[in-house]
Amino acid sequence: MEQNTHQSSSKTFICQLCDLTSPYSYYGQKPPNTRAIVLLEECFVTRDPFSPDKEKFLVLGSTCSLCNSCVCVGQDCSLFYTKRFCMRCVNKHLDQFPHQIQAELAKKKDRSKAGVS
Amino acid sequence: MESDRKRDRRSWDWSSPHCRTQLDDIFFRHHDYIQAGSAEHREFWTFFDRFQRFKTKKDMCSSEGGSRNAEDAKRKDKGKSSKMDIGLPVEYDARYRINLSVCTRDIEERLGKTGHRSRDKSSGPGDQEIADCRLTLLHFLDFWQKQSFSKLAKLRREQKNLPIYQYRDKIVELVRRHRVVVVAGDTGCGKSTQVPQYLLSAGFSYIACTEPRRIACISLAKRVSFESLNQYGSKVGYQIRFEGSRTTATKLLFLTEGLLLRQIQHDRTLAQYQVVIVDEVHERHLHCDFLLGVLRTLVSERPDLCLVLMSATINIKLFSNYFGGAPVLQVPGRLFPIQVIYQPIPPEEQPSRSEKLDPRPYLRILQGIDHRYPPEERGDLLLFLSGVAEISTIQEACQVYATHTRRWIVLPLHSTLSLAQQDKVFDISPPGVRKCIIATNIAETSVTIDGVRFVVDSGKVKEMSFDPKAKMQRLQEFWISRASSEQRKGRAGRTGPGICYRLYAESDYDAFAPYPVPEIHRVALDSLILQMKSMGLGDPLSFVFIDPPPASSIQTAVTYLKEQGALDNNGDLTSIGNLLSQLPVDVVIGKMLVLGSVFNLVEPVLTVAAALSVQSPFLRSSQQNPDCSTACQPLHSNQGDPFTLLNTFNAWVEVKGERGGGSRKWCRRRGLEEQRLYEMVNLRRQFRDLLRSHSLLEGERNAAPDGDRGQRRERLTERRKLHQLKRDHEHQEKSKRKVLKLEEGQDGDMSSGSDTEDTRRRKKDKEGSGQDVDIQEVKFKLRHNMSELQEAVTVSQDMSSRHQALLKLLLCRGLYPQLAIPDEHNTTRKDSDQVFHTKNKQGVVIHPTSVFASDPEVLHVPEHDARETGPDHKESTKHQLLAFVTLLETNKPYLSNCVRIPALQTLLLVANSVDSNADCTRLVVDGWLEVELKEPEEALKVLSTALTLRTEWERVLQVQLGQSAQAESAAPGVSRKALEKLIDGLVRFLLYTEVIYCLQRLTALQIQNLYIGPSSDLSRSKIPDVNPLFPGAKLKPHHIKGGLIVTSFFTYNCLADSRDLYSECLRTFWSCPNCDLYMPLTPLERMTHEASCRPAGEQQQLEEEEAGREKATSSSVSSLTRVFHCDVCNEDLTLTPTEILKHKRQHMYSVK
Repeated sequence: MEQNTHQSSSKTFICQLCDLTSPYSYYGQKPPNTRAIVLLEECFVTRDPFSPDKEKFLVLGSTCSLCNSCVCVGQDCSLFYTKRFCMRCVNKHLDQFPHQIQAELAKKKDRSKAGVS
Repeated sequence: MESDRKRDRRSWDWSSPHCRTQLDDIFFRHHDYIQAGSAEHREFWTFFDRFQRFKTKKDMCSSEGGSRNAEDAKRKDKGKSSKMDIGLPVEYDARYRINLSVCTRDIEERLGKTGHRSRDKSSGPGDQEIADCRLTLLHFLDFWQKQSFSKLAKLRREQKNLPIYQYRDKIVELVRRHRVVVVAGDTGCGKSTQVPQYLLSAGFSYIACTEPRRIACISLAKRVSFESLNQYGSKVGYQIRFEGSRTTATKLLFLTEGLLLRQIQHDRTLAQYQVVIVDEVHERHLHCDFLLGVLRTLVSERPDLCLVLMSATINIKLFSNYFGGAPVLQVPGRLFPIQVIYQPIPPEEQPSRSEKLDPRPYLRILQGIDHRYPPEERGDLLLFLSGVAEISTIQEACQVYATHTRRWIVLPLHSTLSLAQQDKVFDISPPGVRKCIIATNIAETSVTIDGVRFVVDSGKVKEMSFDPKAKMQRLQEFWISRASSEQRKGRAGRTGPGICYRLYAESDYDAFAPYPVPEIHRVALDSLILQMKSMGLGDPLSFVFIDPPPASSIQTAVTYLKEQGALDNNGDLTSIGNLLSQLPVDVVIGKMLVLGSVFNLVEPVLTVAAALSVQSPFLRSSQQNPDCSTACQPLHSNQGDPFTLLNTFNAWVEVKGERGGGSRKWCRRRGLEEQRLYEMVNLRRQFRDLLRSHSLLEGERNAAPDGDRGQRRERLTERRKLHQLKRDHEHQEKSKRKVLKLEEGQDGDMSSGSDTEDTRRRKKDKEGSGQDVDIQEVKFKLRHNMSELQEAVTVSQDMSSRHQALLKLLLCRGLYPQLAIPDEHNTTRKDSDQVFHTKNKQGVVIHPTSVFASDPEVLHVPEHDARETGPDHKESTKHQLLAFVTLLETNKPYLSNCVRIPALQTLLLVANSVDSNADCTRLVVDGWLEVELKEPEEALKVLSTALTLRTEWERVLQVQLGQSAQAESAAPGVSRKALEKLIDGLVRFLLYTEVIYCLQRLTALQIQNLYIGPSSDLSRSKIPDVNPLFPGAKLKPHHIKGGLIVTSFFTYNCLADSRDLYSECLRTFWSCPNCDLYMPLTPLERMTHEASCRPAGEQQQLEEEEAGREKATSSSVSSLTRVFHCDVCNEDLTLTPTEILKHKRQHMYSVK
């Protein structure tokens, strides 16, 4: 039983920003049984739990190309634009991102502020 | 603009199926991630259309702001100068935001993998089309990822937000450290869904989690497997009485308390589990209390077993102490603040005993809400009343108000409603309108409705209690407990702050009992005791219950089980008792099953037993509907309700055979709840399996390879399809709640058979197949073999009057001593005023749902047959009694599920105690029913036949049961011939006994002076030396009643009767039909003779049997002979009973 514990915890993905925790089954760019699909970054991948098809996968997260922190693919934690950036790094280098992305982020910020107040 | 260009160039049409197929050949080949024809593939093309529309719109917008790109480039330059370059491309492209790429046929071809460039450039998709499609595919995949991930993120967020989440590690640690842990948390803390998951993810496997309700097992398994990301696996499963999703991979199993107890019966130590979680222990159900007791002993036996009790924050100490001070983890609930308003009902509006509830206090609250709260503020009302009658009274009044104001939709909620009607409370009301749900305490725990803001608590509950003296259930109204009161209040604060109106004073509240009375204190313990015995738990009186039931209650159950033959005199299980303990039904119904299988009457008995074990399929509300009751008429049998149920089931199976899913409509037209019929068919199957496993039924008929190969393949395909349908249904996400119409509920209960439900379901199944998937029908087809079922039904449909009589007798022997006698004045009373009496309860009436309520004449003694001999005494050959399944007192004591039976014949065949006077013209049965026979001659004949039949019946039963106990042993059973003969004898006796007699209840005074009592030497001198009915057993005087014990149930000449003094002189001349004997005999002597003297042929056969059996003893003498010491000759003689009589007679005449 104790062994089981270690086994399952050793393959757990944890987002360093939001703490999202979930077991993963593969790390890399070519998840098994995905045929012609290639990931453009090294990802933590699990089988898509919401699909009845066993061969569908779900990317949980990957590492930030700048700071190497492990982040989930959630909009609040990271974004992908040719590479993966964690939100902290995005904010640090915001000016280098195209205006489409900047505008989107600003809009999101406004919305979350409105939600809080 | 782009698309225009394309169209100019070639005839490419995105919406043409042909063009799409061509693209499918490139992107969705059978080895690609998405295959043509799959659900995802369909979704893709839907997405494609949307995406193209979106792109066109965006293209148009972006053409206006063309200068932005330059601006971007500038920004980029500026960034470069200030900070490090993170290497982003200059020009924005949405494509860069997608983190995957896909290799498809065109790319493979471009890479020159294969030489066959078969694409026809002129008609196939051009490069532009392929590029468009590829881009859309990438976006589709990305969209899909985002969708799934946001589901996951939402799930995790919700889990985190549960109050119990912060105790996650603590719980795991406690379970690791302690054998028993109590987790106490109020509604909404998430314990039921989370604790099993915490343990699962901490590495525990083989976890069982018990729930008091079947429905909770299913919904929890569904929820937890979803939350633990195992929706499509079987790591998390459930198991309830007839179904389950358990596989070898299952690590967490939700099951009912009762089922876990059954598992313990077979697997004493529950070796299959590592952790047992018992949920909702505070509800204190019978099974739960018992389960805790069993687990308590198990914990000490199995050091590796962990036990987790989960409870609301009610009486936690009790549970902790019961397990030697187990650690308690208390988790706060998640309830919004609830304002409590005490509004006691003013005295003038208090309901008096006989009157209906006054609706005014309830209406005032509705009005108050309408005044105080604007209709835009949502929030429904939940009103707790004690029972169905109260609900319909208040519903009626509220409906009038609702129709007037158009601001309310009134919905009743109780367990006798059809499931479709119950389901309505979850639907949503239109804006500006509130639901007013009027419920019994079913909404306190079993049914949880979100969106309730107002709770009205009447403070009353109807609870079942058991009167062990009258063997009667009683449904009485009580004040609720403080715990229930709080629970009801809590229902107002699940989704937001709420208000609870209590229709009693705060001082009343303070005077309430702290907790409800646990079930174990309220119900008959027969089944429980039987189960305890079969688990080998020793003396039930010394078992350590968490809250022991009264000793008298246990004693009553033990006595009852002894009476029923389930326990022997030492309190140990008999072979029939052992069998009964395996059956998940009442002892009474279990007995019927056993008897039915012994008498080759299995098919109808299985159906009746199943029907009597589930709620009646006849919906109360629709039986008042004239259309329904007319449609039901052909199903009714005036033999009794079990026969009506049998007819109904048979008819239903026939309809299913012919029309499959059409049975739903058939049921609706008759006001039948089809769910109950499905339950019956499942239960029936379980009974059959159980009887088989106890060798009471022959094994499965050799599943002959009926039909040719093609047919078999067809069936296999059919089954596969059904399995798929079932899986699809299980994985279907909860269909959206329907919006209620304002008119809902206005037409009241009558509409239960309306078509609204049908159309609703059809809408729900948006599957496109056009077919209305009835999941019950699918499960039914999977589980049952239709042709086998039809065959079984045919057997019980063409029942002859002989079979019917026998079936009645078996039912009656099962139901005994639950008998009632019609009141002598019933013939002069109105139909609705018919009165009956049981042994312990006088003045009971027939429940209005029974066939006899509408047709009581069939119970009357036919006028032409009856002869009035006194004011109350009617002589007839056709007296009848009722055997009933339940006696339940609500506002009146009601008998339900009754069968009518011929009185004298049945009594003599099933009663535990029959006492007679000297000439047997007066019989008293079970100390309360008196039979007076006109002709002593007839009386003797009847009694004697009954004795003989019963002896044989017992023998057959013993042999058959003994045989099944030894399972498959070579011991010869009862020969077919002997059985046929017995059946024939019983049926003849039931149908053709024509004896004139009176039947009445004894008065209290008569009962007091009933027996002679133990008497002087005089009576002892009359004891014959042998008792030929039970060779070897001596006729003994009865120590209390007096007279002589002839058999275990028959005591001769113990009734205080003036004629008794002359018993010795009551000899009359009689000639035996079987031998030459002709002499004056006393009744007893005559019976003795008859029992031993058989027709010549049979005598021989009997002797052969006996000889076979006694070969070992090497006695050459006929077993019927006994050593007889004659006091007169002072000699030991070896004689048969008849010879003894003859011998004695000689002396008598010689003396005289």
